[in-house]
This record gives sequence, C-alpha cells and structure tokens, in this order.
Amino acid sequence: MMLLGATTLTAQDAAIPQAAVSFNLPPNSPLSVSGFTMADSRATARGAALALDLHMPLTLRNDSGKRIHGVTLRVVSQEVTLGGKGSVTYPSLNVGPGETFPVRIDMQLMRPSQITGGPLVQVDLDGVLFQDLSFFGPDRLNSKRTLTACEMEAQRDREHFKRVLAATGPNGLQNEMFESMARQGAVSQLVVSVKRTGRAVTSAATANSERTAEFAFLQFPDSPIEPMKGSAQISGNEAHAPRIEVRNKSGKPVKYVEMGWIVSDPSGKQYMAGSLPSADADLVLPPGKTARLLQETTLNFSAKGQPVNVQKMVGFVNQVEFEDGKIWVPNRQNLDNAVLLKVLPPSAEEQRLTDIYRKRGLQGLISELNKY
Amino acid sequence: MRHPSQEILALHAGGDLGWLERWKTARHLSGCDVCRDEVSAYQEVREVLPELNQMPEVPWNRLAAEMRANIRLGLAAGECVRPGDQIQESPLFSGARAVVAFAGVFAMLLAAAVLERPVPVHASEPMVQATDTGIQRRSGDRAFGLMHPGAQAQDVTYTVGAQGTVGARYVDSETGAITMTKVYVE
Repeated sequence: MMLLGATTLTAQDAAIPQAAVSFNLPPNSPLSVSGFTMADSRATARGAALALDLHMPLTLRNDSGKRIHGVTLRVVSQEVTLGGKGSVTYPSLNVGPGETFPVRIDMQLMRPSQITGGPLVQVDLDGVLFQDLSFFGPDRLNSKRTLTACEMEAQRDREHFKRVLAATGPNGLQNEMFESMARQGAVSQLVVSVKRTGRAVTSAATANSERTAEFAFLQFPDSPIEPMKGSAQISGNEAHAPRIEVRNKSGKPVKYVEMGWIVSDPSGKQYMAGSLPSADADLVLPPGKTARLLQETTLNFSAKGQPVNVQKMVGFVNQVEFEDGKIWVPNRQNLDNAVLLKVLPPSAEEQRLTDIYRKRGLQGLISELNKY
Repeated sequence: MRHPSQEILALHAGGDLGWLERWKTARHLSGCDVCRDEVSAYQEVREVLPELNQMPEVPWNRLAAEMRANIRLGLAAGECVRPGDQIQESPLFSGARAVVAFAGVFAMLLAAAVLERPVPVHASEPMVQATDTGIQRRSGDRAFGLMHPGAQAQDVTYTVGAQGTVGARYVDSETGAITMTKVYVE
C-alpha cells in the first residue's frame, strides 16, 4: 500500500494518491486518524528533478479518557538516501475524550526523477501530552520535553493574562494584547542555515579571519542553572562550535539544559540566533557540578538577503529539565528584560492568544482564557 | 519545429550560453511554450538549489586569454633563440614545430571551451534552512521540506537549534491551531 508506482510519479504533473503516505499509530494509541485527504497534492517534473507537493489535512480523534494538550507527529521521507526527517507539533490543544480536531501537514520533496517507485512519506505518532502532564508515545524526537515545556509556558502565559484581566479589567487585557502584538511585529528575525560540520555556505563575509567570541550572559535569579563562560568561533556571518559551561545551582540532578543565543551585528542591532542545547543524551548534572554544552555545528546568519556579521553574543538559560522529568522555563519577570523584549518571540500560547484576539475580539479571548 | 536540446535549455536558464546561441534559443522560446516551460522548470530548480549559484567565481575568459598569451610568448621566445640561417630557410615553422604549436593552440582552445561551460557543483553535505514558504533540508539535488502555506511571513517565528534543527511556528490559517514544524539536518 505504501508503494507508489514509478509511472505515477514520472508523469509531467500528476496527483499523488493517498497510498503514498503511511500513518503508523500504535495499537494502544490514544489518537486515531478519523480522516485525511491528499487535497491538491501534486508531483511535478522540473527538468531533471521531480517536485512533490504534499498537502494533507487530517482529522485526529482523542480515543483516550483524558484531555489532550499536545501532539507531535514524526514525518520521515521513506527514501533512505534522502534522509529527510521532520516533526509537526501541535501544542496548546485542549481536546476532550472522544472529540476530533483538524490539523494539517504540508510537505515538499525534491528528488531526481530517474529514481523509480518506493514509498514517499511515513507519519508516526511520536507523542501525546495530556492535561495532567502524563505522556504517551515512543518519544524518539524528545516530544515529551518539547510538549511539556510548551505546556509550562502556556500555563505561565494564561495565568499572566488572567491576572491582568482580574487586576485591570478588559481594557487592561486589551492593552496587554496591543503591547504583545507590537512586540511581535518589532522582533527582527534572522535567516539561519545550519550545517552539522564545517562551514555553512561560502560568502564574502567569511573572508575575514576567524576569531573567538565570548558569550555575555543574562542571569535569572530563579534559574536552576548558572551559565559560567562560553564562546564560539566567529568568521564574518558564520558561527561554529558554540560551547557554554554551566553549573547546576539547584538541589536536583539536571538532565537537559538549553541556552538561548542572541547575536548583535556591528551596528548593535540584536537578533535571536537560536538555542544551544546540551548534546549528551545521557547527561546527568548533579547539584553543584558543572558541564559543558557544545555543538559541532555551523550557523550562517543573514537578514533581508544580507549577511549579518556577528559582533557580540549573549546567552541566557531558556529551558532546564530535571532528572525527574520536571521542566523549568523562565517566568514572566525573567522575560521582562530590555534585551529579551526586543529579540525574543512570544511563546506559542501567547501567539495563539493574540491570534484569537485578532480574529474573535476581546470577548473571544476572555472566553478562551476562561476555559482553563 | 526543431527544439533545442535539454542541455541548451538548461544553460539558457542559467544565462550561460554564448550570445549567438542565446539569441537563437531566445528566438525559439518566444514561439514555443513547451521549451519555455522547460526553461522555467530549470530556473525553479536553480532557485531551489542555490548551491548552483554559489560556484566559485572563476574568470574563465581571463584565464583563457592568459593561456593564449603564454603560448604566444612561448612561440615568440622559440623564434628568438632559433639560429638565423634556419629562420631564412624556414620563415614560418618547420613541420614538427608547426604540429606542436598548433596542437598546443588546439588544446588551449579546447580547454577554454570546456572551462567556459559551467559544471553544476552539488553540495552533498546536508543543510537545513528556512525558505520563504517553509523549512527545508537540502543535500545535493534532493530536498525535504515542511511548509507553512497560507501563513504570512511576519507571523512565522523561526527557531534554530545549534544541534542541527530549524523550526517554524505559526497559527494555521485553516485549523487555527498553533503548529510547530521542525526539520533535522541529520
């Protein structure tokens, strides 16, 4: 069923049948696919290459007895030599037992047209997070941590907006929405490409000699992790081999640390460059001990089509997972920082709530907040 | 109607034809939808695979001119050291020297012709990056992308993991659900 005939794909422009996609949900899955179509998915010959545009609207059903708050699907190209792997995560859900909800997966594959046959895409369930923070799934992509962190941020931000509503009324909540939307509009985003090793791409800016740039750090008083020192190798608009030494100042063992990474260009303009997670899957950082986060990757920065040369770097603790699975994320006071307000995008939940405000107005937003 | 070869169309799409061939191809394209579509397809592939545009800048014409000049210089130097009586006996070239000289010029012209033609260089090392419509992992002539159609560029938040991931977060315009896609370099 998974196999897609070569004859179908070698056509100049052909529809892609449903059989090109395989859904793998375990037998005891709390989710089931109650419907999906391939919509206007097409395979198009482009010279010597074949472009495959897959559009898959899905309807998923909560077959469990608990409310679902997040889902991650793993999407893998079935062509072994391609090695394409991705995930689609739906956080901030609130789906009751027996309820269905719509999601979409939109993909694009490009491959030589002379390759014949073979399945296209496999979609697996990687994880489901429930309201009580229990989790189901193989978790091959660390979905448990991602979904739990999103849920912690969602709870934090909903509580914040509820407090604003209680303290200042609908007008105060409306002003808060205006401020959030203004911040979201003002954040400048970098275009970053990532390569596992070596240089990302060549550019004139990389002709400069390489230098070591040190991280400065924003310290959060309640963070369980203290960044000590760190650096990255900088060459023009490329940064590689970032490394940061951190100390566990909490009383519990830590198994995952993620640092936020801000860069500024020679004019002083700051951008959120990315995050630097701990690389060691078996990391256990006991209380009081230090560890080094390092990644042998190269990041290449540009904005509006122009290279952004890295002048300075700032790091901050973005996420911590303790050995017992509990997650720490910065609180709203931590984020109320002049540097972070300019560069840090809002959480997924804040983005969702402002979208509700835009589409359904103040009453729609208040109604949404009251569901929790 | 006789169509240009795929090779000619591909070179035309990249602006890599000589002026005469370019003019002939453009004239054909003005009346041929099939070939025009082919050229568009090649141009799209070039956009999808920007490594093609990142070939090192090699001044082939200058290189060829320098090669020609060096050969002429060598020939002129040979003439200078030739004994006078031989020059009088052979005002142009002796047979063997002429063969060697013409073979050298022919080899130079052949090399210049080959070097003028761009050879696509495919980056085989996988790279993940955000595009206008999604996140894409590229490796040579293959690509794998998770797209966010319908989302306005300013409403998409990109995240980069130094371990080798790029993510996008947006509110799906059809479902209203926050959607986070992530593509892995490995």
